[in-house]
Amino acid sequence: MNTNTINPRDRLLAALKYLFVIACVIAALFPLLWVFMSSFKSNSEILSSGVSLPKSFNFSGYIDALRISPILKYFANSVLIAGVVTFVNVLLLSMAGYVFARCQFFGKKFLYFLLSLSMVIPMTALLHPVYIVVNSLQLYDTKLGLILVYTALNMPMSLLIMRSTFQGIPRALEEAAYVDGAGFVRTFFQIMLPCAKGGLASSAVLAFLGSWNEFTFALVLTSGESARTLPLSLSYFTSQFSFNYTALFAAVTIAVIPSILVFAIFQEQVISSLTAGAVKE
Amino acid sequence: MKKLLVVLLITAMVVGMVSGCSKKADNKKSSTNKDGEIVLNYPTFQCGVNTAAEVVAKLVEEFNEKYDGKYEIKLEEIPGDTNYVDKIKVQLGTGDLPPVIYGGGFNLLDLALAKDLVVDLTEKVDADSEWKDLYSEAALTTNSRDGKIYASSVEGSLVGYFYNKELFDKAGIKEPAKTWDEFFAQCETLKKAGITPLSMDTADSAWVTQLWLGALVATDNESGLDFMKTMNPTDYNTPEMIAAVEKVQKMLKEYTTLDAIGGKYEQAANNFLSGQTAMIANGPWMIGDFTDETKTTKDFADKVGTAIYPDSFVYDAPIQGYFVTKQSDPKVEEAAIEMVKFFTSAHAQQLGLDLQGMVPASDTVKVSDEAKDKFPLLSEFIELAADAETRTDNMQATMYSNLLDTISQELPRLQSGDIDAKGFCEIMSKDAAKNS
Repeated sequence: MNTNTINPRDRLLAALKYLFVIACVIAALFPLLWVFMSSFKSNSEILSSGVSLPKSFNFSGYIDALRISPILKYFANSVLIAGVVTFVNVLLLSMAGYVFARCQFFGKKFLYFLLSLSMVIPMTALLHPVYIVVNSLQLYDTKLGLILVYTALNMPMSLLIMRSTFQGIPRALEEAAYVDGAGFVRTFFQIMLPCAKGGLASSAVLAFLGSWNEFTFALVLTSGESARTLPLSLSYFTSQFSFNYTALFAAVTIAVIPSILVFAIFQEQVISSLTAGAVKE
Repeated sequence: MKKLLVVLLITAMVVGMVSGCSKKADNKKSSTNKDGEIVLNYPTFQCGVNTAAEVVAKLVEEFNEKYDGKYEIKLEEIPGDTNYVDKIKVQLGTGDLPPVIYGGGFNLLDLALAKDLVVDLTEKVDADSEWKDLYSEAALTTNSRDGKIYASSVEGSLVGYFYNKELFDKAGIKEPAKTWDEFFAQCETLKKAGITPLSMDTADSAWVTQLWLGALVATDNESGLDFMKTMNPTDYNTPEMIAAVEKVQKMLKEYTTLDAIGGKYEQAANNFLSGQTAMIANGPWMIGDFTDETKTTKDFADKVGTAIYPDSFVYDAPIQGYFVTKQSDPKVEEAAIEMVKFFTSAHAQQLGLDLQGMVPASDTVKVSDEAKDKFPLLSEFIELAADAETRTDNMQATMYSNLLDTISQELPRLQSGDIDAKGFCEIMSKDAAKNS
């Protein structure tokens, strides 16, 4: 008798598992494929038969997208702004997260609560005050204005992640570093930061995606091409009585590629970081 | 040492990027520049695929050429109508408004007036006979408050409906209906011939559907017409309104496509452009779509006819125009007034007509031969509209803005029978009362 034979029940379960995974993959990929396919269809094809394949593959949608809106300029602005925001965010918030995780000082809990509180303030409530502050700082229609606002908006989430990450690293590592003569700064940069790669990647990805996709502040705080970001360019293709969906989907394809790439490259770190500390050993 | 150098380099890079990012370009806001030229920052949603984008760009170019060295307009593109309204509302909240705002169909004038931020143009208009002659009675009503002129229109809203001549022929219909009874009989005939009679929508304030609704209300009786002429009405629970909503319910249930429920203007337009429906209520800005081969077939324009509504009705009202906001620098205000005058002049209205088929706000601007050749359907419609016996503004232009959402939410329930016409009107009245 062969004891390795899989019984029918297990086979069925395995098949169901695969079916479930395939369904999940289709559900995840379908919107992206649909957008990509639609960028090759005419307006009439998109509106009449949404899920059909394009009748022909031509790049007129992409040409129109580049002609109608300054998408490449906005793309470059987005790369710069999201890049700087991510770097600044990760650098500053990892420091803050470390201090909140390890140091004891008066008002620590209150300060942490205060910094986290901004996560629950609706963005619309911030519009007017932020507009006034940015204007009075002479930062209206500048990239720096957006960088400051986005860094602040991403702060609570990054702080939350970095604090949890540092809390999950054994204290023995730091103690060993101190015994070997390392100071506070050196211990942080050379011992703790490399151990917190997962958290760094996670907060970096979230900060990047948050800045890359943000629309409302980019609309309100800018007026010209020099500082505007990619999400605004997508509004060029629809108005109340006029639309060019082919160009819109082409522009969306251009817009989402970096987000997908960033997430694809760092997905393991992000997922491991988000689940880090879930189980204490 | 090497690591210290790396840290220093990274720090220098970040500082460089940040300082580079903060470098301000000149003239982000309206001001006088070093050459004494007044720069006007003009935000507009008429960019991208907006049908008026070409006209506005041309007007800016002409203005800058005419006033070279004195005034200059810097165009701030705000793509998307709602984005434009949202940004102006934020600026209204902070009092930091651009010198010139286009009210469009968004009634921004009243919002700005409520904060006392609008410049009274009465004296300037009265002093300039050429400018004053462009104001019809309707234009004065649209752009004035309490006897004072605050805005100036460039475009009129002349709206009837389009029909597919080929589908009408197929169903044996010879011409558009003269009465509503005839209209509904035609819908029945089309339906029996296997043709969906109407393009309709419910989402995004249900523009197409509310055009049919308003036409039914305005032609029901004198009270209906008075209702349509009332700014911000609060009582929708009237016999004319209920009767009109009952008819719209019938249209939604029996004479339109399935995707009308939850569908936007784009779906309604596509159903007409792809020959799936026989009629769509809409304005002349749609004429360009009839020859756009990414939206329809090559010969579609030849199949389209235009008509005014049954009972000799047409929507006819100037669209709220440009207004000047109060500025700390009187020179900027002067420049802004000059810009409004230029942008709403007879020349500007003629340019809009010739370039894009925009209906002029003033009836003193005639349809040129160039426009007749370029937009024959528009020319035909203007002639038909001239004979209309009843005319008023559309319902969306006069209703409280919160009702735009209400109408979108309640039309699907009306179609499904969850609420009846009376219930629909009661909800509209209830939501209108929230503004008082």
